[in-house]
Amino acid sequence: MTNKKENEQYAVIADHISKIYELRNKNNQHKNANKRFYALKDVSFKIKKGDVVGILGTNGSGKSTLSLLLSGISDIDSGEIVVNGEQALIAINTGLNMQLTGLENIKVKGALMGLKKKEIDAITQDVINFSELGDFLYQPVKKYSSGMKSRLGFSISLALDPDIFIVDEALSVGDKGFAKKCLDRMMQLRDDRGKTIFFISHSLEQVKNFCKTGMWIEGGELREMGPVDQVADHYSEYVDMLNALKGKEKQNFLDKKFEKRLIPKEEKKGFLSF
Amino acid sequence: MFKSVQYVLKENFSNLFRIYSIAKYELLADMRDSKFGIVWNFLSPTIQVFTYWLIFGVAWNRKPVEVNGVEVPYLLWLIVGYAAWWFIQPCITQGCSAIHSKINVITKMKFPVSVLPATVVCKEFFNHLCMLIIAFVALLLFGFRPNWYWLNLVYYAFCAFVIVEAIGLILSVLTMLWRDVKKLVTSLTRMLFYFTPLIWNCHFDSNVPFHSILNKIMKLNPFYYIVNGYRDSVFYQKNFWDHPALTVYFWIFTIIAFVLGCMLMYKFKKKFIDLF
Repeated sequence: MTNKKENEQYAVIADHISKIYELRNKNNQHKNANKRFYALKDVSFKIKKGDVVGILGTNGSGKSTLSLLLSGISDIDSGEIVVNGEQALIAINTGLNMQLTGLENIKVKGALMGLKKKEIDAITQDVINFSELGDFLYQPVKKYSSGMKSRLGFSISLALDPDIFIVDEALSVGDKGFAKKCLDRMMQLRDDRGKTIFFISHSLEQVKNFCKTGMWIEGGELREMGPVDQVADHYSEYVDMLNALKGKEKQNFLDKKFEKRLIPKEEKKGFLSF
Repeated sequence: MFKSVQYVLKENFSNLFRIYSIAKYELLADMRDSKFGIVWNFLSPTIQVFTYWLIFGVAWNRKPVEVNGVEVPYLLWLIVGYAAWWFIQPCITQGCSAIHSKINVITKMKFPVSVLPATVVCKEFFNHLCMLIIAFVALLLFGFRPNWYWLNLVYYAFCAFVIVEAIGLILSVLTMLWRDVKKLVTSLTRMLFYFTPLIWNCHFDSNVPFHSILNKIMKLNPFYYIVNGYRDSVFYQKNFWDHPALTVYFWIFTIIAFVLGCMLMYKFKKKFIDLF
């Protein structure tokens, strides 16, 4: 009983979670593939409610896989993950319909995200104000520039009111002014509403400014977790070290890292049991 | 088994507005894409029916269809039967890609995947209503007047709705597992077109060998029940309870298909993202 109460102060508890992908061989055939690959390997952490976590890592280290697991879209292969509260991944350009106008897209995307009709009506004005699209609101989205699309998409995504936000590279779109506006809104969510936020970005600057806790994932494994400044410094040292390596050395280093994530194929499983 | 049925039903009924919105705006986007928009929803079935009528009605000189002493002009007989097919056929072929075509949505947000077949069915139901309007106009022009038997259409439309939803659940999941399913089904539907009483009544004459067995096999096709049901209601003044055996067979078939679809959906609900 005490254990349960203790757990309630955490937004997310991950206990030795792993995610495995199957690799195709060179001929692009699934069947003979004898390689299985840890996208995430034995990752454990506890995140308190109201914490703001910056997730760092080089490309392909498993950040996005983690964001999919956290948002409940993808399922883990082993371990256990407990999420206390509603979670939502901020997906900017998802669910926008190119043929329809900006205004109609607010309704489309709102409905896709699962909002009720009343809720959509309530947020529409907010979205219009925040996205600053003006008369472009009545143009089909296919005529929008990519920045304008992101503005619209991001503004609608913010209308969701989950307990846990997962932001995957979402703020690196749009011009600087809008990016700042988004960040301000996120800070408001962080400070006034006490939301738990997972923030994935390659901009160390943004992560340092915005997050409290840093989480560094490398090669599918959790390398370090702690105060954001400390983790970010270690991470940037690692990136510098990686960049300093010469061609051959770097290749060897990356190959070794890749090898470590491979797992030998088990016996063939039965029909439909994957 | 019950858990999976309960899961799918609950997810669908708690997301009615979501289903309605997706269907509505997809139709709207489709119309925006073309200049004449909604006109095509009426024009394309008309052209289809007109083609079949030219070939089978005019060129092959089909006589008016006579059942139980009621004579119905071939064109009208064709239109009413084809109205049902105009709903069933796209539901099956598009039902296959119901999940696959929304892959960018389900990989990016938490989404109740099991509602996707229903969105396809709802979208096509709108086209079905357009086609029914054409059929009604044709019926009135040929001098058929509405009567109480026509209400059976509501029942048969419901039957069609349930069975294509069930089939959509199965096929959408199977297409995610093997993309070949869609190609196979598209070809099979084309074949099914000729073995459903649309352009001919699917009745073998007594000079055909094994005709009684063949005629029974024809009735195993669940769409036989629906297409003939549409015609029974408007032409032959029959209620659906006048075919008890076929009705029972149809519902057993549909319920088994639906349960199977729910079980597949339930089993793979969290796997779809890794399957594309």
